[in-house]
Amino acid sequence: MFKWIPSLAEAVVDALPTAEPVAETVVAEATNALVELPLLTKGLLTTLMGLLGVFLVLTLFFITIKLMQKIGK
Amino acid sequence: MDILAILKELFAGVLYLASPAGLKTLAMFVIAGVLIYLAIKKDYEPALLLPIGFGAILANLPPVIDAATGTAAESALGEHGFLTVLFNAGIANELFPILIFIGVGAMIDFSPLLKDPSMIFFGAAAQFGIFATFLVSLVLIPIVLPATAGDSSLILRLASAIGIIGAADGPTTLYVANHFNLKDYMAPISVAAYSYMSLVPVIQPPVIKALTSRKERMIRMNYNEERASKLALILFPIIVTAVAGIIVPMSAPLVGSLMFGNLIRECGVLERLSKTAQNELANLVTILLGITIGGTMVAENFLRLDTLLIMALGLFAFVFDTAGGVLFAKLLNLFRKTKINPMVGAAGISAFPMSARVIQKIAKEEDPFNFILMQSISANVSGQLGSIVAGGMVITLVSMMLGGIW
Repeated sequence: MFKWIPSLAEAVVDALPTAEPVAETVVAEATNALVELPLLTKGLLTTLMGLLGVFLVLTLFFITIKLMQKIGK
Repeated sequence: MDILAILKELFAGVLYLASPAGLKTLAMFVIAGVLIYLAIKKDYEPALLLPIGFGAILANLPPVIDAATGTAAESALGEHGFLTVLFNAGIANELFPILIFIGVGAMIDFSPLLKDPSMIFFGAAAQFGIFATFLVSLVLIPIVLPATAGDSSLILRLASAIGIIGAADGPTTLYVANHFNLKDYMAPISVAAYSYMSLVPVIQPPVIKALTSRKERMIRMNYNEERASKLALILFPIIVTAVAGIIVPMSAPLVGSLMFGNLIRECGVLERLSKTAQNELANLVTILLGITIGGTMVAENFLRLDTLLIMALGLFAFVFDTAGGVLFAKLLNLFRKTKINPMVGAAGISAFPMSARVIQKIAKEEDPFNFILMQSISANVSGQLGSIVAGGMVITLVSMMLGGIW
């Protein structure tokens, strides 16, 4: 009944090596695009993403504390 | 050997001081003297400024010339000098900032923050100055330091480290500067970070007063005296480490060490280790860190235009971090029924607990019965978290902009 499983697993394993380079290429292209940006654009991107990131992480800490307060009650 | 040659060799150090290089040495002695004076006479962060000042004297002593070979012999610096050994052992590999954070973590009580978590956002808002300074630095560095023009990697890395000075968080500043391999700029960056940190009582009050009215400074805030549960105090450092480590992996060493120290404090079964981290470990590393930073203040690396630029931009960052916190509190007050004293926002910088004390002092000057210390402490410990996360974010983002090679 389940004889098809090994052949499916093999097919997935065979597909993996081709999937990985595609992902790597996409990341490499994105990195190259960032590197080639003008200096001030890099600065603005870093500033916006940095501030957003700090607020995001601290918001997660805030949610964590709120959850702990609820569990405590 | 005639008598003149013997005298010349005996007083080689004195003769050196009369040379152009010697005059720079004298200038560094004066700077070191100012740091030691501020530490002893003004009590400005003496545990750091005094070792830094003394380290600067050691680093600028005239070179010892070996009479036999005529070459410079090893002294405090040089390949095997003890200041170089300390630098390689503790700063070049980022060990001292990590150890300091274990001590700081063991000193922090997150209880006020766990009771009033809304204060955590001031720890984020007060990082505004970091990013504002980062942008300004990107514009100014190539203009003031033409040698860097065209080297966008150096400009980005240097701007990052200068921006972080605004967090008033010495270890994170060192961590970022070292991560970006800015050894030549380490002395002015670390001196700016630590000296501004010690000047919180001088820098913050005028900025706060300029941005707030007396009425705003007199706003009272309620505080619940009850302590957070032990379970929450134990879970908090563990969860924060996991969250920060997953989202901003570059902040993991700093957040991890801070929270490890805090867990030792809060777990309740490691009293001895907690005391050791708070006292012996923190004191020992502070001594070594201070003298090692001082050791980087060699005249030829320090008496340069970039030092002035770094000091000026560091001050700008510090002022804008304070302003960012205050203005964010004022913005929140537009939407809140129960108002926040906007001065609490200024405590969102990382200088713990000095900034919180300064805020309470100003509040007391306006209204002797106004007590906002605990709220300020909450914002202050949030600032500690915020500055580490900001440091991690800056490292991650700037590395991406540089093609991921840093």
